[in-house]
Amino acid sequence: MEKLDARRDGGRTGLSGLILGGGTEPDPRFTLANERTFLAWIRTSLALLAGGVAVEAFMADLFGPELRKTVALLLLVLALLIGGGSFFRWLNVERSMRRKNPLPLPWIAPVLAIGGGLVVAIMTVFVLVRPF
Amino acid sequence: MAWGRTTLSLTVAAAVFLRWMPHHGWFAATLVAASVMTSAAINLTRKRRFHRAINGINDEAMTPDVRSIAALAASVVVLASLGIFTVLLIPVAQ
Repeated sequence: MEKLDARRDGGRTGLSGLILGGGTEPDPRFTLANERTFLAWIRTSLALLAGGVAVEAFMADLFGPELRKTVALLLLVLALLIGGGSFFRWLNVERSMRRKNPLPLPWIAPVLAIGGGLVVAIMTVFVLVRPF
Repeated sequence: MAWGRTTLSLTVAAAVFLRWMPHHGWFAATLVAASVMTSAAINLTRKRRFHRAINGINDEAMTPDVRSIAALAASVVVLASLGIFTVLLIPVAQ
């Protein structure tokens, strides 16, 4: 019971205590929901990673080397930003819930929207101007 | 289930990395190994996370699994960095 009270009061130890700091534990369902959202972002990052590798590996006959490299790099950099950013989004949300502050805006959402839009724009231009 | 779906995504990424092996040689095998090892690590620790979540809901208080989350994010960042390195610097075998 003492241990449970300590957990409710934010008696975190080790890495959790170091990273999450003070405040009180939120409802565990919120903590688990935050974890599931983090995992959804990670899967988005992995899909972008696989997409970047696929463009580099499978599109040799369709794209020139420069365009192929550009699109693959764009997708891989996006995967890197989303993968790293998902951890900081999770951390900021967890800290906010712990301190009962408003939830922060996720900056990785506009990054994904702009990056994805850029890739789609490049592909659209390629489809429109390529010789048949 | 969310962790299970993530292991599936990592396995798919590993399968796509395999396609790089004829072009980028054994460096691509490093990416495959890293993806498979991350996926295996998630699977091996699945039971512990499940019991932690169940206990947390029962106790109405739980500490987030910071170590697993940080390790997974770091793995994905490393995989993406190695992918960028491969595209930019590893010569394509003819």
